[in-house]
Amino acid sequence: MFYPEEMTEIELVVPAKDLLAVTKALGEQAIFQQSDSSYLTGESELAQPKEWQDKASAYAALERRIQTTMQALELAEGEPSKKGFDAPVDVNSVQAVVGQLEGEARKTSEQLTNETRQVEYLEGMLRQLQPVADVDIDLSKLQGSHSLFSVLGVMPVENMERLQTSLSRIPFVFLPLHQEGKEAVVWLAGSNANSDILKRAVSSSYLNPLTLPENVKGKPSEIIASLNSQIANSKNKIRDLKNTLVSLREAHTQRLQRLLWEVRSSRMLTDAIVRYGRLKYTYLIVGWAIASKLPQLQEKLRKVSNEILIETFPIKRSEVKQNVPVALRNPKGFLPFQDLVTTYARPLYNELDPTFLIAITFPLLFGAMFGDVAHGLMLALLGVLLLSKKVKALRSLASLGGLVTICGLVATAFGFVYGSIFGIETILPALWIHPMENILTILGTAVGAGIFLLTVGFIINIFNAAMSRNWGRLIFDKNGLVGLAFYWSLLGYAAGSFISNFPIPKTALLVTAVISAFFIMFAEIFKHLVEGHRPLIEDGVGTYAIQAFFELFEALIGMLSNTLSYVRLGAFAVAHAGLSSVIFIVGSLINPGQGVVYWIIVVLGNIGLVLFEGLIVGIQTMRLEYYEFFSKFYNGGGSRFEPLTLSASDKGVN
Amino acid sequence: MASSGISGYAAVNARVRVMYSALLTPQEMGRLSETPDFNSLMEQLKHTAYGPYLEQVRDRDLTPRRAAFQLRERLANAYSSIIGIVPDQTRPLLVQLYRFFEVSNLKAVLRGIVKGEHWDVVRYLLFPFGTRTVIPAEEMMTAGNIAPAVELLRSTPYYETLSYAMKRYNAEQSLFPLEVTLDLNYWRDLWKNVKQLSSLDRTQASRILGTMLDITNLMWAIRYRTYYRLSEEEVINYTLPFGYHVHDEDIRGIAAGADAAQIVQRVYPGLTQVENLTAKSGDGLSQLELQLQRRVFDQCQAAFVGDPFHVGIPLAYLLLSDLEIQDLVVLIEAKSSNIPAEKFKQYMIMKN
Repeated sequence: MFYPEEMTEIELVVPAKDLLAVTKALGEQAIFQQSDSSYLTGESELAQPKEWQDKASAYAALERRIQTTMQALELAEGEPSKKGFDAPVDVNSVQAVVGQLEGEARKTSEQLTNETRQVEYLEGMLRQLQPVADVDIDLSKLQGSHSLFSVLGVMPVENMERLQTSLSRIPFVFLPLHQEGKEAVVWLAGSNANSDILKRAVSSSYLNPLTLPENVKGKPSEIIASLNSQIANSKNKIRDLKNTLVSLREAHTQRLQRLLWEVRSSRMLTDAIVRYGRLKYTYLIVGWAIASKLPQLQEKLRKVSNEILIETFPIKRSEVKQNVPVALRNPKGFLPFQDLVTTYARPLYNELDPTFLIAITFPLLFGAMFGDVAHGLMLALLGVLLLSKKVKALRSLASLGGLVTICGLVATAFGFVYGSIFGIETILPALWIHPMENILTILGTAVGAGIFLLTVGFIINIFNAAMSRNWGRLIFDKNGLVGLAFYWSLLGYAAGSFISNFPIPKTALLVTAVISAFFIMFAEIFKHLVEGHRPLIEDGVGTYAIQAFFELFEALIGMLSNTLSYVRLGAFAVAHAGLSSVIFIVGSLINPGQGVVYWIIVVLGNIGLVLFEGLIVGIQTMRLEYYEFFSKFYNGGGSRFEPLTLSASDKGVN
Repeated sequence: MASSGISGYAAVNARVRVMYSALLTPQEMGRLSETPDFNSLMEQLKHTAYGPYLEQVRDRDLTPRRAAFQLRERLANAYSSIIGIVPDQTRPLLVQLYRFFEVSNLKAVLRGIVKGEHWDVVRYLLFPFGTRTVIPAEEMMTAGNIAPAVELLRSTPYYETLSYAMKRYNAEQSLFPLEVTLDLNYWRDLWKNVKQLSSLDRTQASRILGTMLDITNLMWAIRYRTYYRLSEEEVINYTLPFGYHVHDEDIRGIAAGADAAQIVQRVYPGLTQVENLTAKSGDGLSQLELQLQRRVFDQCQAAFVGDPFHVGIPLAYLLLSDLEIQDLVVLIEAKSSNIPAEKFKQYMIMKN
């Protein structure tokens, strides 16, 4: 739980005859991530025909064709067969079946697309004609005039000014008739003697003239009527074609879904084989496996191949020199918090997984800012509603249900601590203090909590560095030992300035701060010294000095701003009570008699407050976690463990 | 990071200066120029900051095209890293600047489709955005035709821009109108972003990006007029009405047939042999562009002197890094084709 799963690097030498069985076994377990070892292919094998590559391409092409057919029929992909994947399908026989289904679906689908485009085209013309609907002139006559060059059409608004500039040497009339977004319907006219210039200007300014179908003639109002009738006809055809598609879909759903999954699994299997190294009679497979599940993988592999050679290289966290894939292992209840962590970054293999810390601190920080018995319970209920997936519109947010429920319950607990219900602090007794009445106390406590969390961050960074034996980072990093000394000596100095009889002399604190600042400034040199890295300064003394100064400046500003940032914990607790009271005040102002209107305002106001403030407090909590807390110790940047599977629906390991 | 000024740019400045120090010096570039062949060039480059990017590829796969692709990876990382730490109000400008490569990728994909190229040929010609791009390049190539490929861009900011030009593409079967509209739109948006910056940032960004915009606009006008023989109204519609030193009157002058050399000389008095450079024959215009790019290079270097707390520092670094890679690509092409030093050096921006 505290670290990602331990990994073992694994190398397999597989006889060609067992190739499919071994690949299938690797794919079924979902605990093996393949590395590309095709570069290990022997020189003589390179010249051989690329049998598996051709197969992989054929399966990929087939998969695309099936998907296109299914899209044409508006058919979902469905799920892979529960019986599992048996063997790669025969390309030729599947091609024949796909060809037949594709032909039936494509014809109808193409007709539908054409009719839909026709409607779009006609509606586009309608939009262009609407602004001149009242003009009592035959458009076809205007376009065929001997003396007048005239264009009615659409163009990008941004080109209008340039078009007029380009025509500045000839007389013309330019009228923007209608503008919507970035598009304008315009009318341009000039003398036919200048038609060449006008045509070039029209074309180069991307003015697309309205081209009426040959059978459409007359005044704009007559054309509009004709277009409307054509649109109605096309829409009828679209309805009939959609019905045809529905019958095709009903007839072929199961067949297409089964074919898609068979072809997809075959494609995934051949894709995996293409990435193996090939020797004369054997194949080389290289990758990563989860150490705890390695024995069962080995057993399964030996079952399917007697002659397989398996070599394993366990990877110790302290000796990691390469990018080891990271599989996280947290209890199911922690998954919403794990998502928060991975949204920021996936931990490195040798780095502490901060999910358990987030699981503790996120609800606490949220609850401290949103402390209210009633609002917390409302939020918890919302969380349960999200989890239940009973409201269709909220289904996409189901993954947030657990997080919202826990945050709501902790906010309820803080409601008792603050003695706050619906933002009213006079009904319940406070287990600790009422925020509105003790503003300075709560703000001070918030900063104290921030100092505690930041110190925890420093300590975790030191621990991480010790675990990875990165002694330079442990001692000289701005978030390492010298950073911690700098931070606490500054805090002590500040405290000593306000508190008489402060036990530590201010001079001692100042000296500690200056010494640790010196180490932070020149941390790179000291890190290089510890690591035996030469040269000590890589980019010249001048550049380094500038960088070093800004490093210290940034560290100082960062510590100050990170600490003060936690003031928001108290500030939001106070603001919550204030905002809640506004609802009741507005209700009383609008309906002093406290009738139905008053209660409607109170109910809607409270729902709005929970949603709006809940969102803001959630964002603030995330900010405190990501920017203030994580930045102290968390690097991230690990790559996700992506196990080999023969079905894309296998989610494998997180 | 929300603030600008000292607090907003302190960390950016420190990081960029460290990255700046890793740019190649003229001496290093000189040593690279003197390598006897492509393989030695790659070996030398592996000992520079580009090393880790080149070492990601096996030696036998390190073709000139692939090498250039790997070098650009470093620039892509620099953009991602800097965009992540600049103040909020500056970020849109850098994101838009970064989109230059996305627009170039889009144009390369469209050309690939028209030429019927295979994806494997085109992929390493593209700037390595990885998953950070909105362009479904491979799917577009698979689509095989411009119209369905453009349809795949529906949810991207490029769709609307291209849709206006599709009618012309269908009629003319030329990518020219598509490419022009993409370019115009890109520079318009970039200039809008510059204008939205606050005072010092705006001054710095206008100086650097305005010069780039001037060069681009000027080159367009001269090329369209002198090489493509486009009419006045077409040149005006295919150029931009704003700039830093180059004004609309200059562009309109070139469009109307005025002497381009005179206009260039008035805007950039320090340039030599401008008349030859704007002449129709030879590669004069490329040489003019190169001279102007050297001005951008000098301006970027100058940005590192004086008050460091502004957007000029990250902008200048990113452009210097881009220009350095352009030089390295010249070297890669020269070494792989055995072109002598006296020929390829005239195409390099950094003097060594």
